[in-house]
Amino acid sequence: MKKKMHIDLGLLFIVVFLMGFGLVMVFSASSYESSVKFNDPTYYLRSQFFATIAGFVVMIFFTCVDYHAWEKFAVPAYLGSLGLVALVVTSIGITRNGARRWLNIGGISLQPAEVAKVGVILFFAAYICKMGSKISTRRGFYFSMILAALPSLFVVIITRNLSSAIILFGIPFVMLFTASRDSWRYVFWSIIGIGIGALVVYLVASDILPASMSFRMARIKAWLHPEAYASGKGYQTLQALYSIGAGGITGKGLGQSTQKLGFVPEAQNDMIFSIICEELGLCGGVAVMLMFLILIYKFEFVAVHAPDEFGSLIVTGVMGHIALQVILNVAVVTNTIPNTGITLPFISFGGSSVLFLLAEIGMVLNVSRMIHE
Amino acid sequence: MIKSRKDKKDKLKSSRGRKLAVQLVLVLLAFVLLSYRLYLINRDNGDAYKRQVLAQQIASSRVLPSRRGEIQDRKGSKLAYSEKVYSLVVDAKLMNGDDGRHLRPTLDALKSCFPNLNVDAVKEYVNRNPASRYKVFMKRLTYDEISPFEKIMAEGLSSNKAPVRNSDSEEEEEEEELTVAGVWFEDDYMRRYPYGSLGCDVLGFVQGNYEGQFGLEEFYNSTLNGTNGRRYGYMNDDSIIEESIRPAEDGLTLVTSLDTNIQSIAEKHIKQFYDEYTDNYREGPAANNIGVVIMNPNNGEIYGMASYPVFDLNDPTNMDQVDMRPYLPEGYSASGNEASPPTPPVEPPPMAAVSGNVSGDSVSEAKAPMDPKVKAMNQVWRNFCISDSYEPGSVMKPFTVAAALDTAKITGDESYQCNGYLEVGGFQIHCHNRLGDGLLTVEQGVAKSCNVVLMDIAFAMGIDEWRRYNKVFNFGLKTNVDLAGETSAGGLGFGEGMTQTDLAVASFGQGFNVTMIQMAAGFSALVNGGYYYQPHLVTKFLNSEGGVVEENNPRVLKQVISNKASERMRDYLRAVVMSPPSDCTGWSARPAGYTEGGKTGTAEKAPRSKRDYLISFMGYVPAEDPKVLCYVVIDRPNVEYQSESTRLATVLNKKIMTEVLPYLNVFPTEPITEKEREELEAQQMEFAYSANGVSLNSIIEQNNSEAEGEAAEGEEGALDGEETPIVVEPEIQRDSAGNVISNNAIRYDSATGYPLDPATGQVLNPVTLLPLDGDDSIMTEAGQGSHAESQESEEADDSIIIVDPI
Repeated sequence: MKKKMHIDLGLLFIVVFLMGFGLVMVFSASSYESSVKFNDPTYYLRSQFFATIAGFVVMIFFTCVDYHAWEKFAVPAYLGSLGLVALVVTSIGITRNGARRWLNIGGISLQPAEVAKVGVILFFAAYICKMGSKISTRRGFYFSMILAALPSLFVVIITRNLSSAIILFGIPFVMLFTASRDSWRYVFWSIIGIGIGALVVYLVASDILPASMSFRMARIKAWLHPEAYASGKGYQTLQALYSIGAGGITGKGLGQSTQKLGFVPEAQNDMIFSIICEELGLCGGVAVMLMFLILIYKFEFVAVHAPDEFGSLIVTGVMGHIALQVILNVAVVTNTIPNTGITLPFISFGGSSVLFLLAEIGMVLNVSRMIHE
Repeated sequence: MIKSRKDKKDKLKSSRGRKLAVQLVLVLLAFVLLSYRLYLINRDNGDAYKRQVLAQQIASSRVLPSRRGEIQDRKGSKLAYSEKVYSLVVDAKLMNGDDGRHLRPTLDALKSCFPNLNVDAVKEYVNRNPASRYKVFMKRLTYDEISPFEKIMAEGLSSNKAPVRNSDSEEEEEEEELTVAGVWFEDDYMRRYPYGSLGCDVLGFVQGNYEGQFGLEEFYNSTLNGTNGRRYGYMNDDSIIEESIRPAEDGLTLVTSLDTNIQSIAEKHIKQFYDEYTDNYREGPAANNIGVVIMNPNNGEIYGMASYPVFDLNDPTNMDQVDMRPYLPEGYSASGNEASPPTPPVEPPPMAAVSGNVSGDSVSEAKAPMDPKVKAMNQVWRNFCISDSYEPGSVMKPFTVAAALDTAKITGDESYQCNGYLEVGGFQIHCHNRLGDGLLTVEQGVAKSCNVVLMDIAFAMGIDEWRRYNKVFNFGLKTNVDLAGETSAGGLGFGEGMTQTDLAVASFGQGFNVTMIQMAAGFSALVNGGYYYQPHLVTKFLNSEGGVVEENNPRVLKQVISNKASERMRDYLRAVVMSPPSDCTGWSARPAGYTEGGKTGTAEKAPRSKRDYLISFMGYVPAEDPKVLCYVVIDRPNVEYQSESTRLATVLNKKIMTEVLPYLNVFPTEPITEKEREELEAQQMEFAYSANGVSLNSIIEQNNSEAEGEAAEGEEGALDGEETPIVVEPEIQRDSAGNVISNNAIRYDSATGYPLDPATGQVLNPVTLLPLDGDDSIMTEAGQGSHAESQESEEADDSIIIVDPI
């Protein structure tokens, strides 16, 4: 019984710290927009605060329940995720900012892509355990790839949300890579994937593929030359860059951002990292990344020392999820990759995101409790 | 077994651990790269981005327009001023605010207050662009037009006690009343010309708000404009919007030497001339152009400068009132692109002079093809007195004489024999009087305008001296009068290759081009003691409070001839007007009661074969001590015998002087004869009749004589029916040559003053009493193809601007 209390406090501390820091930053970044829109500077803060409370409850629940209990829910979770994504096209789907990505379930809005991330982690952890060495065969590899691609295709086709699709594919990819014995296939396909991406960028940059082909092509254009698209596709990116530049090394001080005053769109959301950089400077930005690095190191530690493969794979999936999302988010904000809507875990505003991230953390904490048996 | 399983598990674990470690390293690497990227952004663009962010802080920035300075005449009357007007601006966001509660009442209020506003368009715009904050829907509204709406807005304000125009507190107004919101008025200025077309060529107009075109408006554009102010709203440290205002600096006001009355006198008489002579001999305007320059010869101040046609400065592109026929290509329909209207069933006049252009047209023609209408409008806008050049003709003679006197090449006591022509370089260069005037003194030569005397004087001086003096008198150079669009005509003077023949014709003003302002400025110097003043219009610059910022004092640029020579010139020029009519050419220019000096001019236009003439008269009053100088140029008058029509210019000069002199407090010194008194009284009646200010002389009334004129044309130049011949008075009548004609049966041509042949109705040469055959070219014997023809085209002068009206 005593052992059961032995959870990874370091990991918990970092998560709590990031959540707290996130609330401060959400308040700072959103208060202006919130005043303008709702005449209440704390509107976003309160919403996020309640989501966080709910998230911690969920986290505690997952910390307490033995993760092995979820193994039998793996297939329903996978199919359920697909189903939820599909529900977006029905009448309970909600459209925000021109994107149909949310579900309205009993008055609470929910992003099915967030649910799918947890579903995919659970499903692949169970799937890899079940298949054992078969995943390392060629057929196993392709079959696994199809299973991994399915939810991501669902998301990209139905909700046109490329960033979630990338993460939804990235999570099982990382898990399979970690578990399989023929990692060369993954390395090979990663290189192919990066090569194709680079080719597309090259083609768009040299105007062989017209930017008018789709809005993604235009985004690539805007990524390469944000100044040329300052009033259109490049606006958000450019404003984020202005924020980073304005912050300098040490920043303007907490709450002192001026870019959040209606200039950076989604300042409390996708672009919150730019506000962090403006207010806390390069130091603040690097510090946040450092926290995430420690968090990921903690995940790695738990994954390596997990009592069984299922637990290890769950943690690996969560690690892949968070690592991918942080890297992509910061890369978008710094205009290192083309703009795609992706949030910064724990910090960005967003109820579903917080809820399901904390559920994942709960599972990781539960795994960590089992290490020292 | 257990061990192997454990080994296997460990192996699996270590392989997994390795891969996880690889992932960790990859993540670390990514973070390092991203951190480096952050660093790069700060290092490379940090300052620029910081500035950008600061620049964005300016929440609003609005131009506060400066008021363009006025243009005043010498008495302080406003010739041009800028009136404050308002633009109606729609703030769609505000109008849509509060769940659209403002929309309907605002649109209703707009509908009731602005009948000309398309409210549906506003509604559609507001619906389509709900976030738009600035859209101008109406411009140039006067205060009276906007005040009803402002009243409605003010009522809404007081009942709500909440500022309507405050972007931060647009919510939470009580439901009590529907208020007007989202409309405001932006200050603007509009140029107004209270006298309409008066002095249009001198003043110029303004395109948009700040772009002067032509005349003073263009020349003093930056002085008039001032500096726009700005109102900035910016976010302070506490994220509160603060406002900072840099007020506009209004432009300077120009006080000019122009006199509204003198200007309107000149314009009135030009218009009268046009009324009288349009479609007179040939179908078309009364002349290709008429220019009048009235100035003070003692300081270079220009009192008036007028030419034809005039246009409404308040609406410069509206040409409805202007006879555009001379400026549009034949067959061009002013109304649009439709096929040209059917040409009236009239044979084109044999000379086809109607389509002939004012000299200098080729400037605009040389440019890229342009809408003929635009080109024509530029012709209307240009100032003939400074932008067009022409061969001056005999008005040049005093310059030749003055140069010869000043260099002491002649003493003034010489006498010359005139046989009616001089043979120079194989040409017979004729005098106006082909029979010759016999022995003439210099004074008589000038008074009778004898070409032979002048040629002899020029030969005495030589080519080099003549050219030097041409430069001294500033011919071929801009006078730098403060008006936009002046041409120098420098390319149309004589160069190194000037020949003796050139000198011969140049002595009496043929073969080279000048502008009116060059002539007037130079002539002033001849008669005022030899001082060349820079001609100018602006005398003072005032700031918006009326304080004098700068005075533009008269500037003597040089002394061109000696005082003595000038004195002599005054005597000679006095003889031109004051001699008995038989001994001079300019007697008909003298205003009753005054002494006048001056010089007539009848210049043959190139090509000589066309028999087109530019007639002119330069006069100044009083002859002994010039106070006013008036130069009249009539380019190709619409009469049959252009070469004999100098009288038109002298009479025009007389009419203008008669009105201008009393106005300028120049008092008559000479006795007035009974006949002159009658004439004066008749003219005074006319003043009273048309004294209601300024003549809008642009309307050309179509003479009902058109048909008659055409009919008359067929009968070998018989007088056309409309032309009322001078009623022969019982007293002695003289023709311009001074021949006393006592036979009452003889009638006189009104344009030339020459007698008419009682039998045929032809105009007779008063000296020879032979019918005028129009062949009065200066040079005969292949003379018509001489060098001067090649100078017809005006040099392309960059100062002439073609304005494309927006």
